[in-house]
Amino acid sequence: MSEIDCQETKRHVHEYLHNELSDQELDDITAHLANCDSCETDYDLETLINGAIKQSCTEDVPQELAERVLAEIRRIQANGGVH
Amino acid sequence: MSSFVASGAGFGMPRLNSKTMKSKDASAKQNQIQEFEQQALPLMPQLYGAALRWTRNPSDAEDLVQETFAKAFVAWAQYQQGTNLKAWLYRIMTNTHINSFNKRAKDQAKGGLDDLEDWQLGSAESVTSLASRSAELEAIDNMPSETIKDALHQIPDEFRMVVYYAVVDGLPYAEIAEIMGTPVGTVMSRLHRGKKLLRSLLAEYAAQEGYDVSDNKDEVK
Repeated sequence: MSEIDCQETKRHVHEYLHNELSDQELDDITAHLANCDSCETDYDLETLINGAIKQSCTEDVPQELAERVLAEIRRIQANGGVH
Repeated sequence: MSSFVASGAGFGMPRLNSKTMKSKDASAKQNQIQEFEQQALPLMPQLYGAALRWTRNPSDAEDLVQETFAKAFVAWAQYQQGTNLKAWLYRIMTNTHINSFNKRAKDQAKGGLDDLEDWQLGSAESVTSLASRSAELEAIDNMPSETIKDALHQIPDEFRMVVYYAVVDGLPYAEIAEIMGTPVGTVMSRLHRGKKLLRSLLAEYAAQEGYDVSDNKDEVK
């Protein structure tokens, strides 16, 4: 296992949270986070923001949109349709 | 088909008249529309969510969804069954949206943004004290969804979409790169920068609400 510093850890926060790291990098960062309040708080903050973003993007599809789309597709088909 | 019709004519085989041709054609078309309805249309909630992020208002989002499905239907024969349909539709949506604006102006603005240095992109660097970050945590925890959405809508389109696809849709970087038509490195840097911009906007809001998220640098390691 290699030692990584705070700067390196903070730089990889999104790759860590989105599971885009190698197993080795993941282990190194997890080990660093266990011993570093500063980086851990940072990761918590990003996780919290991600959760807040998810919650703010939960709009329902307007009911008439499905009908509109379907009507458009049938119109295209009637006019010659799929190539 | 025409040779079959020609040879069939003289040997007592049932000749394909225009009526049966038509009904065969119609049933092929019917299959196609059914296939599209069963596979593509159920992805409407995801497409509408992405369209809302691109356009930032419901009425334009509906138009974008409709146009995306229309183009997808016309191109349906080119979709390879078994490949990632959602990514295929998202890609059509990206192109549809970008083409509906002045492409050149758009590209210039984009280039400019990606060239910005980190220090130009807001102050929410992780060098603030633990105390101010605890305040930030608390503030964000109590923030109304509308505030988060407003902040999201204030960051540049390309940054916002990468944040959306990564955070809300949970798509891997490689897929986002495919959808946005950029290299994976651009996805990474836009996600970093987008989140950074967002965080500084949220910190501004938190400060307005009276949280102490000021930049005390007393605990920098």
